[in-house]
Amino acid sequence: MDFDVIVVGAGIAGCVTAYQLASGGHSVLLVERGAEPGAKNLSGGVLYCRVMEKVFPGFVDKAPVERRITRNYLGFLNQDSLVGIDYHDQRLGQPVNAVSVLRAKLDAWLAEQCEGAGAVVMPGIKVDSLLSENGQYRGIKAGDDELTANVVVLADGVNSFLAREAGLRGKEPLKHLAVGVKSVIGLPAGVIEDRFGVAPGEGAAYAIVGDCTAGVGGGGFLYTNQESLSIGVVLRLDDLVAKGLGSVELHDRFVQHPGIAPLLKDGELLEYGCHLVAEGGQAMVHDLARPGLVVVGDAAGLTLNTGLTVRGMDLAAASGIAAASAIEDALADKHFSQAAMDGYVARLNQSFAGKDMATYAKAPAFMENPRLFNDYGPLLANILRGFYNLDTTPREHALPVVRGALKASGLGLVRLARDGLAGVRAL
Amino acid sequence: MKVVALYKWARDPEAANVRAGGVVDWGNAKMVAGDDDHAVLEVAKALAEGGELVGLTLGDGDAAWALARGVEVAYSVPDAPFLADNAATAAIMAAAVKHIGGADVVVVGDAEQHPGVPAALAGLLGWPALLGVTSATAEGERLTAVRRVGDTIQTVWVDAPAVLSVAATGEEAKPPGMMQMLQARKKPVTQVSLAELGVDPKEGVASRGTRLPDVTGAKMLEGSPAQVAADLVAALRSDGVL
Repeated sequence: MDFDVIVVGAGIAGCVTAYQLASGGHSVLLVERGAEPGAKNLSGGVLYCRVMEKVFPGFVDKAPVERRITRNYLGFLNQDSLVGIDYHDQRLGQPVNAVSVLRAKLDAWLAEQCEGAGAVVMPGIKVDSLLSENGQYRGIKAGDDELTANVVVLADGVNSFLAREAGLRGKEPLKHLAVGVKSVIGLPAGVIEDRFGVAPGEGAAYAIVGDCTAGVGGGGFLYTNQESLSIGVVLRLDDLVAKGLGSVELHDRFVQHPGIAPLLKDGELLEYGCHLVAEGGQAMVHDLARPGLVVVGDAAGLTLNTGLTVRGMDLAAASGIAAASAIEDALADKHFSQAAMDGYVARLNQSFAGKDMATYAKAPAFMENPRLFNDYGPLLANILRGFYNLDTTPREHALPVVRGALKASGLGLVRLARDGLAGVRAL
Repeated sequence: MKVVALYKWARDPEAANVRAGGVVDWGNAKMVAGDDDHAVLEVAKALAEGGELVGLTLGDGDAAWALARGVEVAYSVPDAPFLADNAATAAIMAAAVKHIGGADVVVVGDAEQHPGVPAALAGLLGWPALLGVTSATAEGERLTAVRRVGDTIQTVWVDAPAVLSVAATGEEAKPPGMMQMLQARKKPVTQVSLAELGVDPKEGVASRGTRLPDVTGAKMLEGSPAQVAADLVAALRSDGVL
């Protein structure tokens, strides 16, 4: 064997796996398709970082993170109104619970940690296929070259062609996939802090539904980085196709919306791009182990969109921890059978990541509810307008105001109750 | 013959972001292989056959790139900065070449973005320079270099020591495979600091600002193929192309 373990993909899941195994004294090869780790990564996102502390003590202080998220904003955006829940809590910063990150920086740092722990990090390699013998996976092939290992870890991202080749997953249905279109807008740190009402080093994360996607399933997001904002839309592919809308137009529409545009004012466009996002939740998680092979992170389908939080990176880290621990045992026993690799699945299911995937299994179906994107925003705005629009007509009590707005929305009390119940159950 | 191949001594101009105020933001761009660097190694390998081939890189560029491409001995100057001043860059290179015991030939890329470097390097070493070289052979102390000048091809003899500046004529024919890259990572790289070289590079170019060229918006033609073709011809006519 050339290595104990070969990890394909130097994102969070791959780096966490490689780092832990290399720290345990195993020979690890970490291959990455991009010219440098992070080179291919467009994600600017919120990393719920407590799990990273378990792998890299002092993560928040040592790693190149952007801002500590102490303010979360959930907004319903309508054509000419915005209703939001603004949750600002200093407790979210002590200990730090979430940070905004730019992956081009973070992944490069993670790969450095792996190298420091003794892993061989090799960027610029596109793995073409997996080596296997009688169902036992034994290594990777790139170009004319083959490298062997006792265990191969697939951390090759949302598309994971290698997992498909191994028959671990089929082609995802469109409803499990979304396209994310993102801009990074440069602004001075002080302007960001003033505009978002946060202290230096602290930041805000916005999750927005409604008119930002013109009713297409998905939503808008906005994260504050140190000197830039990551802003964009995530659009469910099946709905986008069905409605015949374009992702670029919807992105532009969102950033120009009067409820959003002032936040970006005088900013400078630094970066623009799009990426496939997994949205299937638990339904997308397929079998994750074969003899000598495990799948982690996005490749394993580990993403969660609950509407309030969009998670992937923390789940990726948790899967990396589970994989490294199972592989550690497999290497000690020199057993790389299906049963040995299933140890990873068992550990993953026991971890917060596996449990959260199960808890939120119904979230994707709930998030598909078109009323979430079309009706509830205007309803909320109309109720509030009933209270605030003092047009010299006499006010009504709250109940008739709500009832009137509900009636006008055509939603009906029963449907509202049903959606509410579904929401409580799904989240 | 001892040949020094210079590679990865500049950043990729495409990694530069020109900000609104005219400031160039390099992000965390590293020194990368230039478009001509693979041809530099080809020429250097041909010249060094039976002799010694030394690779030299500046700054934070990864030396494994050259070690995977046939370089046996690798030096780097990790604290060498990326400078707009071609002469200052060449001064670091010249000092490094002297530090590693000199050479019969130094091969460097033509580098469109930094055209002054090869000539300045030759000047500092006190050697002749041949620019635009596409291939070269050596016989004793005599170098035979082929270079392109306009639309003619010249064959030029020059006696070592000399600086050859190589222009690639195409993409790299066969990039190294995974095995070669893996072996390259295990080979040693000797690091030399600017202090050891006795160089204190000063940026001699003061930039007053950078501006991106004006961009003309793209025209999108839509409709049936026949309509699009007709619109395209009309647009080309109105723009004076046809």
